Amino acid sequence: MRLRRLWLTDFRNLAAVELEVAAGLTAVVGANGEGKTNLLEAVAYLATLSSFRGAPGEALVRAGAERAVVRAEVDPEQPGRAADTLIEAELRAVGRDRVMVNRQRLRRAADLVGTVRVSVFSPDDLAVVKGGPDRRRRLVDDLVVAGSPRLAAVRGDLDRVLRQRATLLRQAGGRLTPDITATLDVWDAKLSDLGETLAQARADLVGQLEPLAGKVYDQVAATAARVTVSYVAPWRDQGLAAALAEARTDDVRRGVTTVGPHRDDVELSIAGLPARTHASQGEQRSLALALRLAGHQLVTEVGGTPPVLLLDDVFSELDPERSAALVAHLPRAQALLTTTGALPAGVEPELVLRVRHGRVAVER
Amino acid sequence: MYAGPVQDLIEELGRLPGVGPKSAQRIAFHLLKLPKQDALRLARAVTEVKERVTLCTRCFNVAEGDECGVCVDSRRESGVLCVVEEPRDIVAVEKTHEYRGRYHVLQGAISPIEGIGPDQLKVRELLARLEPEEISEVILCTNPNIEGEATAMYLARLLRPLGLKVTRIASGLPVGGDLEYADELTLGRALEGRREVEA
Ligand SMILES: [Zn+2]
Repeated sequence: MRLRRLWLTDFRNLAAVELEVAAGLTAVVGANGEGKTNLLEAVAYLATLSSFRGAPGEALVRAGAERAVVRAEVDPEQPGRAADTLIEAELRAVGRDRVMVNRQRLRRAADLVGTVRVSVFSPDDLAVVKGGPDRRRRLVDDLVVAGSPRLAAVRGDLDRVLRQRATLLRQAGGRLTPDITATLDVWDAKLSDLGETLAQARADLVGQLEPLAGKVYDQVAATAARVTVSYVAPWRDQGLAAALAEARTDDVRRGVTTVGPHRDDVELSIAGLPARTHASQGEQRSLALALRLAGHQLVTEVGGTPPVLLLDDVFSELDPERSAALVAHLPRAQALLTTTGALPAGVEPELVLRVRHGRVAVER
Repeated sequence: MYAGPVQDLIEELGRLPGVGPKSAQRIAFHLLKLPKQDALRLARAVTEVKERVTLCTRCFNVAEGDECGVCVDSRRESGVLCVVEEPRDIVAVEKTHEYRGRYHVLQGAISPIEGIGPDQLKVRELLARLEPEEISEVILCTNPNIEGEATAMYLARLLRPLGLKVTRIASGLPVGGDLEYADELTLGRALEGRREVEA
C-alpha cells in the first residue's frame, strides 16, 4: 500500500494540515516539541487506531477542540483495485470515535485493520529489550495482528474478558460463592479459548521472527552472535483451562488473574545470555533495531507489499556505525522520518517538510 | 455553573446514555430556546411513557398493560422461547419473520464491569416460566459480543441439565456487534441456522 495524501484537523498540536506524501522518503524536520512526531503518530493511528506512544484517545485531540480528524488517501496497490481508498478517522474528546472508508461508516472500527499498514521505529524501542514483558508482548502482538487482521478481534476480546474477570474477582472479595463460581466458569471458558488462539499465533510468529532477527542483528552489529527469541508461556504445557482451574483459589484470594497470555514474556538472548540483563547498551540497541527490521520484513512478506516505514528520530540515539548499518538495511519502501538535525550520509529525501508551532510547510 | 433549573436540566441530560457533559449543555440550551409547547410535548412524552408503559410481567418486553402484545397473542407458537438482552432486540428478531414463538427479555447481559451478574438479570423469572408454559426449546439470542456470548454460555449450562433443547443463533452475524445493527436477512439466516449448544 502507499499513502498519497494526508489531512489532519486538531490532531494534537496540528490544527490544520494538508499534504502530499512522497512515494519514497519524506523527511520531517524541526526542533523538539514543534509537532514532528505528532505527524507520524497520526499516520500510525490509521493503522492501529491507537497511539504508538501509548497515549489515550482523548490526548490526541487538540486542547479545546471537540474532535480530531485524520484523513488519508491510500493506494492499496492491489491488482484489480485501481481506485484510491479514502480513510477518515474521527476522534472525539468525549464519546465514541468514528471510522469511515470511502465515506461509508464502518460498523466496527477494528474492520479497518490492514487497510493502512505501518512499521514504527522510535528511540523508545530500546525498552523492548530493556523494559518489562508488556513491551515485548506488544511488539509480538502488533506483528501477529499485522499478519492476520482477524486476530485484532481476538486480542480485543481477550482484553475485555480479562477486565471482566478482574472485576468479578474484586467483587468476590476473596469468597467463592456458587454464583461467583458459575460466572467465573463462563469467563474462564472464554479466556481459555481466546488465550490459546492468541498464544498459538504468538508462538508461530516468534518462530518466524527468530531467524530473521538473528540475520539482521549480525548485519547491524557486524558480528556473528547467536540471537534467540523465545516465547515463554509456562501455562501452555497443561493448557490454559487447566492452568486457570489450578490457579483459581489463588486468583480469588488475591483478586487478580495470575496466569494467562497477559503474563507471558518473549525472552531475548545474545550468545546464550539474556539480553535484558547481560548485553551492553550498544548490543541492546542493535537488537532492538534488528527486531524492528525483522518484523518489517515479515509483515512485508505476509502482506505482499511493504508497510509504510515511520522512523521517529531514530538516528539521534545511534552511533555513526549503527546509523550507517540502518541506512544500508532500510527496506525500499515508502517512509516518513523525523529529525532535529542533519541526516546521515546516504539518506536522500524526496520531500522535506518543516514543522513549526504545529504548522507544516514544504521546505523542498 | 448555571443557576438552579438550568443546571438541574444539564445534570439530568448528562445521565442519559451517550450524552457527555458538552452535549448535555448543548441540548439544555436548545430546549431553552424552544417554543414552550414544543418543550412541553417532549416533557409529556417522557411522563406518558413512564406512566402508561411498563414491563410485561411475563417476558419483560415493554407493555401497555399487564402483558405485552406478543405474550397475549394466542397465535404465537408455544413451547419455544427466544431469549434476548433488550426489548429492542425483539424488534430486530420480529423483522426477520423467521420466528413465531414468544420471548424472554433478560434486561441486559452479564458484565461485572457494569455491576451486572445473573442476579441482576431476569434469569430466575426465565426458569419460573419453563414448566407452566411447557417450554421444550430455548433459543439464546444474546448479542454476538463477549458479554452476550458469556451470558449465552451461562444460560446454556443452567438450562441443559433440565432436559431442554438449548440452541444458539448461528455465527455469521458481525462479531462484536449488536443484534439491532444486523440486517433482517443476516439475522434471519442466523436464526434459521441455530445450533444446539454443547456446554
Ligand atoms: Zn410479554
